[in-house]
Amino acid sequence: MKKQSKMQTGTHRKNRNVAIVGVGMTSLSSHKEDQNQPEMIHEAVRAALADANLTLDDVDCIVHGNMELFEMQFQPDMWHVLGSGAYGKDEYRITTGGTVGATMVCAADNLVASGLYDTVLAIGFEKLQEGNTTGGITNMADPLWFRNIQTGALTGTTAGMLIDEFGEERAKKAAMKYRILMDKHAMLNERAHRRFGLEYEQAEDLMKTSPQLVGELRLIHMCSQSDGACAMIFTHEEKARKISGKPVWVRDHITVHREETMSNLYAFEKPEMTHHYAARKLFERNGITDPVAYFDVFEMYDPSSWWGLDWLREFLMLKGDEHIRMLEDGEFDLDGRLPINPSGGVIASNPIGATAMLRPAFAALQIRGDAGGCQIRKPVNHALASGFGGTLWTVLIMLEKDLNWQEANHG
Amino acid sequence: MAEFFGTTVADIFNTMPTRFKPEEARDVDIIIGYECRGDGGGKWKVHIKNGTIQVEEVAGELTGCKMSVHAADAETFIGVTLGKIAAIEVLTSGKLRVVGDPRVLMMLLPKVFVQYTVPAKKSAVAAKDIIATIAERFRPDKAAGVAMKVGYDLTGAGGGQWTIVIQDGKCAVEEGLAKDLTVKMTMPADVYTGMMLGTISGETAFTSGQVKIDGDMMAAGATSRFFSKYVDPSAQAGEAEELITIKVTNAIDCRFATGPVMGMWFKGLKEKKFLANVCPKCGRTQVPPREICAFCRVRCNEWVELGPRGTITAADVVYFASPDPLTGAVRETPYAMTWVLLDNASAQEAFCLDIKKEDLGRMKVGDRVRPVWAEKRTGSFRDVLYFELDQETRGEKR
Amino acid sequence: MTTMTCKKEDTANCFVMEGKMALPNQYFAGRLGSKFIIALRDGKKIMGINCPKCRKTFVPPREYCHVCQTKIDENWVELGSEGELVNYAIVRYQGRHLPRKVPYILGQIKLRGADTPLTHIVEGVDFKDVHVGMKLKAVFAEKTTHTLLDLDHFEPA
Repeated sequence: MKKQSKMQTGTHRKNRNVAIVGVGMTSLSSHKEDQNQPEMIHEAVRAALADANLTLDDVDCIVHGNMELFEMQFQPDMWHVLGSGAYGKDEYRITTGGTVGATMVCAADNLVASGLYDTVLAIGFEKLQEGNTTGGITNMADPLWFRNIQTGALTGTTAGMLIDEFGEERAKKAAMKYRILMDKHAMLNERAHRRFGLEYEQAEDLMKTSPQLVGELRLIHMCSQSDGACAMIFTHEEKARKISGKPVWVRDHITVHREETMSNLYAFEKPEMTHHYAARKLFERNGITDPVAYFDVFEMYDPSSWWGLDWLREFLMLKGDEHIRMLEDGEFDLDGRLPINPSGGVIASNPIGATAMLRPAFAALQIRGDAGGCQIRKPVNHALASGFGGTLWTVLIMLEKDLNWQEANHG
Repeated sequence: MAEFFGTTVADIFNTMPTRFKPEEARDVDIIIGYECRGDGGGKWKVHIKNGTIQVEEVAGELTGCKMSVHAADAETFIGVTLGKIAAIEVLTSGKLRVVGDPRVLMMLLPKVFVQYTVPAKKSAVAAKDIIATIAERFRPDKAAGVAMKVGYDLTGAGGGQWTIVIQDGKCAVEEGLAKDLTVKMTMPADVYTGMMLGTISGETAFTSGQVKIDGDMMAAGATSRFFSKYVDPSAQAGEAEELITIKVTNAIDCRFATGPVMGMWFKGLKEKKFLANVCPKCGRTQVPPREICAFCRVRCNEWVELGPRGTITAADVVYFASPDPLTGAVRETPYAMTWVLLDNASAQEAFCLDIKKEDLGRMKVGDRVRPVWAEKRTGSFRDVLYFELDQETRGEKR
Repeated sequence: MTTMTCKKEDTANCFVMEGKMALPNQYFAGRLGSKFIIALRDGKKIMGINCPKCRKTFVPPREYCHVCQTKIDENWVELGSEGELVNYAIVRYQGRHLPRKVPYILGQIKLRGADTPLTHIVEGVDFKDVHVGMKLKAVFAEKTTHTLLDLDHFEPA
């Protein structure tokens, strides 16, 4: 294709374009005793099919995922068959830790783009109430050594590093402002799980009174633990144009896993962060030199306020204290230059297996104008969504409103 | 008193003695304070000592408590107790605060108390109402060949005496206690009602001595087999349906092969050495060692000894430890996951271990440390106990 | 150039570590599952759910008919406790988690009124006599556990 030659070499070439035509999710809560897992999944599947105006007969492949063993159930996709609609169909089971939701979006995109399948239904879920999260996380570490040290996924060293770099007062204030901003966004999002109604005046008090978990990482900074499911439907350009008035195009995605650098994060000299590496590669091959200018929304996977704050600099290729200044100036607010997590992010809602899918899902809803109370008022044409996994996985996905990126020149 | 979720804060404390499981609190001596602000609230002190419990409402300050729970309002307190409100949510928003050792809340309380449930509606079922249904709940197929007379001596308000006669596949209930009882069970009427309705654990009632048995113990235990479960008729109308939760513990034994690289690492530990392997291309020293250089993707065949001393590069002081999934034990907090750049290690290769408890409060990034080895080393994670501050060179800063 | 970190024969430093994973967790049966188990436990009855469109009765019950996607969770049907053995296998390999000591018969029983067979344990018949088509009846548990095993096993009718 002539047009693609404008981009860097090594571009990922698709056989055909892929669009998101259906998005469905269950309510997110910590009380779902009245549903078993297949029933919960089915709720999201029905919602996605209704949104796309399709039936299960139109779907020829299901992609199913969550954090393996978090519910202490091995390969739950088999049990879930009656709820997922996979009965009698092709199915792929994917487990890539915390990023699984986003990986499923990548997989669905690849499956449809390749021409192997026409319409793919991706389902991410988690039912943490039924599981043993700590056990799940601890069992990700290698059994010979790290399993003995690791206790869950909490660390306060990022807070320590930010405090070292920007001074205690400014860093703590920024982390708290980020936290409250996320809650304000969540308050506008009817679909979010935890909505506290925090006000900026409470920042000082919360900084002092919220119980410390690890170092300066306090309970108030931490993400949620939610139960819920999310389903998305992907199809190729020809069908998407026929059935959907608002298809959201999957432009590109990248997956970077840097588990080998985990212990390097704590040395004096640090390697390039997985987020920066992923963003650098993705933006290079798409000709994007100024992500803050290019994107209209960024749904970022932020497991805690400290990480959210730090990773903004990594993803958006910023330097020095640019990210903190942008936060302080309100540029990341819903009506700011680059709204971050209008959905409230992972801190507000975290059904782990679905969380990384919720990021592109909410981004897609923003592009469509269907995000409800947290809809960005300005037109949303270019969206970025990220997924994260505890062993330093990053998945970055680019979504577009129009299929025009193959012609235009970006600067 | 203000009511939320169908009950009051006072009821939760009033029922504590009956819900208490003394056999789970044998080696416990603790005072727990509770404060619930606002309408329908109050302050209580609960003293659990060696299998006994004392609950008292207090007016002044909650002093001498190992742990105290403070709820912003009655709704929060009742909601969390019933599980209708997630504790983590109100702990985060501050509506529920815990002062003192939170592990008491997480581990001890669920162990020594039967979960509180909303009491049956105002149609307080009396013991005699339940007894009146005995004949219709009888299951002759289960009592084939059984002949016995079971006496119930229910004391206190709403009590009475009854004899259940089981003979030739038939069951009759008579008032009073027959002379030739096979077994007699004596208990307060409300304990009987509670057991039948499921709000009191039968096992606990027996073991704690609330139920006395005279006569054939086996017969006493067998009686429940002969009757189908009592269902409170008033409970069916509009009451929350019973939702089943099936609890399991998946236990899997496993065996992991170390391979030669990690095998070499453990051999080093046995000899009090930190052995790292070196990348031939970039010179990186990987600790613990890996087959392949993480950045150059080539095999690392050379070995080098690091340390034993090192410099602290980062420390994670953990205040909230997650329970060990294998033992359920919660590590004593605070403890610190200490990252150290061992001497001779390449700049990016920090290594993590515990720090000695006594050094936790005074260690800083940049301090020098040295490892403390176990006396007997077997080639395992436990061969190095922790790092401790290296006194001689403690003055040096980064 | 060496391609191995060490030779395969060099096992001097290789050994095996024992590990264990023991993780407590829980499952929700859900509204329908709970109703099914409570019927077994308290009512000593086996309940199924019917899809009026497909005219099929499923047991254990489910919320939606997977064939026509109709919501069927209100159409409870009381099935008898008698049925016919449509398939079976004799379990001989002892695992820690099995509900019985091996060997025992695991069968699929089509209850009267149901269109799906129920998998359960069959007792009271010699291995040489068990056969497809034999008539069985359900035996309920005395000590209940809030699980499917509140239906204890099937035996010859």
